[in-house]
Amino acid sequence: MAAGSSSNVNENIPVFEYKDINTKPFHVGSFRTAWLEKLKPIDYSYEDKYEENEDADFAKEMGIAPETLDELKAICSVDTLRCQAEDEPLDTNVVPPDPTLQTLIQRKKKQDYKDTLRIDKISRVDHYQDELESLAVGKRPEDPVDLVPEGEIILSINVLYPAIFERFRYVRPHMTLQMLGSHSLVDLRDAICCISDLQVFGEFSNTPDMAPDFISKDHFKSAFFYFEGVFYNDMRHPECQDMSETTIDWAKTRDFPTFHKANMEDTRFYDLKVKVGYPYLFCHQGDCEHVVIITDIRLAHKDDCLDRKLYPLLTHKHRVMTRKCAVCHVYIGRWLTTNDPFAPNDPCLFCERCFRMLHYDKKGNKLGQFLAYPYVDPGAFN
Amino acid sequence: MPNGKAKDRFLKPLVADYEELLGRFQQTESVRFEEFTAIWRNMGFSSVFYGSLAGNEMREFCHLTLTMAFNYFLPPYSFQIRVGGLYLLYGLYHTQLASPKEKIRIALKDWEQIQKFYQDSVNSQHYDAVYIIRKLIAENAVLYTAMPQMLTFRVKKKPQHHKVCEEFRDRPERVKDLISTDMLQEVANIQGHHERLKASVLERSSIAVTQQDLPARLHSCVLEFLHWQDRHENHGDADHLVYAEEKAQQVESSNRAQLLASIKTKSYGCLAEASKSRRHRQVEMDTSISGTGYIKEATKYHKSRAPSLKARTNKNLCGEGDEQKIQYWLLSAAEEDKTACKNRPMPLTSE
Repeated sequence: MAAGSSSNVNENIPVFEYKDINTKPFHVGSFRTAWLEKLKPIDYSYEDKYEENEDADFAKEMGIAPETLDELKAICSVDTLRCQAEDEPLDTNVVPPDPTLQTLIQRKKKQDYKDTLRIDKISRVDHYQDELESLAVGKRPEDPVDLVPEGEIILSINVLYPAIFERFRYVRPHMTLQMLGSHSLVDLRDAICCISDLQVFGEFSNTPDMAPDFISKDHFKSAFFYFEGVFYNDMRHPECQDMSETTIDWAKTRDFPTFHKANMEDTRFYDLKVKVGYPYLFCHQGDCEHVVIITDIRLAHKDDCLDRKLYPLLTHKHRVMTRKCAVCHVYIGRWLTTNDPFAPNDPCLFCERCFRMLHYDKKGNKLGQFLAYPYVDPGAFN
Repeated sequence: MPNGKAKDRFLKPLVADYEELLGRFQQTESVRFEEFTAIWRNMGFSSVFYGSLAGNEMREFCHLTLTMAFNYFLPPYSFQIRVGGLYLLYGLYHTQLASPKEKIRIALKDWEQIQKFYQDSVNSQHYDAVYIIRKLIAENAVLYTAMPQMLTFRVKKKPQHHKVCEEFRDRPERVKDLISTDMLQEVANIQGHHERLKASVLERSSIAVTQQDLPARLHSCVLEFLHWQDRHENHGDADHLVYAEEKAQQVESSNRAQLLASIKTKSYGCLAEASKSRRHRQVEMDTSISGTGYIKEATKYHKSRAPSLKARTNKNLCGEGDEQKIQYWLLSAAEEDKTACKNRPMPLTSE
């Protein structure tokens, strides 16, 4: 068009690619600068704004007299919203009688139904899980150096569990982490706890005490993130391999746009160009793949946890039922045995104590012929 | 997943409550906060948070209320509704029972609109609206985010788009958007350029390919349309102001009359269908009754705004379809035969 559009579409403003599903890709650092340009520093600072200063500014801008200002303040105060008289006791746990609001009508129905139930079914663990979110709210660090600076970006990232189990098909178990914009991708990688990192491979029936020395996390250190066509590899340790190379080479032979590579430790979240709400990939241990979704990016707020040392912060974690020992049904299973004449079924789970008691004598000699593998329960991180 | 289900359950009654509140606010024809709080207290809106909500539900509910209310603060709603949305946000933020308070999320893409709104309020000297916006920002009630909601890529679930309430919609300014002053300027420039080129190339410049006064005519068209819109709008408002009381009763009685009329037209509509042999002499339905524009369902508050062009087009073109749906399976049944009224597929028999 000859005239051109009157306002240039700013690429750094996130807009929806598909409505309510995900956005178009944008650069996180530029997004932050865009917000900081539009706001006055006092808007996003942590301090309480002094009321007198605010009122004075307001009066000056609008050019109104102090009496009008006082009248205005009285009209707009929060007390005008109060629906009860001041001295009437207010029980906010109960729906008021004869509700007219539709929300309340619906809630009353539910409450009446709940009263008919004999047992309240909130388990203790769910209760604590809900509290996990608010655990770190408002925490300030002792050392001011650790304070999250004003105008810092906080990202909320959902890391889903690997979808290899049957039971993970219908729910979306995930853990939610909050990260700062100045963190690098390795901080995220270290914060993701996946049980495949703790897997120990190998048969240990002859040497049951040596098992803890061989955690997979120490063996296979390679990992990569995939965001918007770029693979970010973890190259911190000399034994890390570039796992993305196979994929890049394969893509070259097919009709795919070229992918790029970068180092995980050199990339901060500010340097990333991502879509919010769009699934990406995190792969470690060679084939353990997690879907990573960035759900939210925003400026830091007074009520957030402001202690740098506490980040990455875990705000939500899906709870997995743990499998207990076949003998005592009390402790979580630690050993898996096959070909075991002592066990009722094949394979069979045992906790540490029952395993030792059943399969080894007092001196530690192996009794009978069996194969034993250390077992890590998926619920180990609960 | 508990999050998804809870949200769906709370959504519809909450939106109904909001539209009730904003509808009443719209009726007051003012943007004053006192009017708003009067309605708020009347409806007892603070109690929307009461009732013991288990565990994290209270926090999620507060988050949902603020997110839904924010939709009314943005275009395409009219200025009055947007002010109502702002007051609603203010009220919900302060009366919520979650602690620490759930914040209002403002996305970067909406900031321009909000600034424009702020500027409009300042220019029109709506002190209370300006004061409330400043107060919300000053008390750290706002989270500056990338997107208005947290996005978790829930593709399978039917996305819950916010349905724009048609009565609250602002008067469309499509003609003004299409023919803006910039565009007129551009057209005038091109016209001038064309004329100059023509004069320099041809000796006889009496040939005119374009209309000479195109920009002026476009401009006059736009003005005419705007005046017509104003007149149409004011005509509707004047009616409301003058005949307020009688109209209320008239509307109710006319509602009932129209309901009866619609039942009659429906019954005439299906039995008047002639048999196959006499199809060439179809009875025409008298659509004059339904043409008066009867309101579809009885509402709690009376609609004083004239229906928008879009709504009227919709009604005129698509609204009649249902009434004329002829029930073939009732044609050959005797009136006393009640079993025929059951919805069983029966072969069409001719008399």
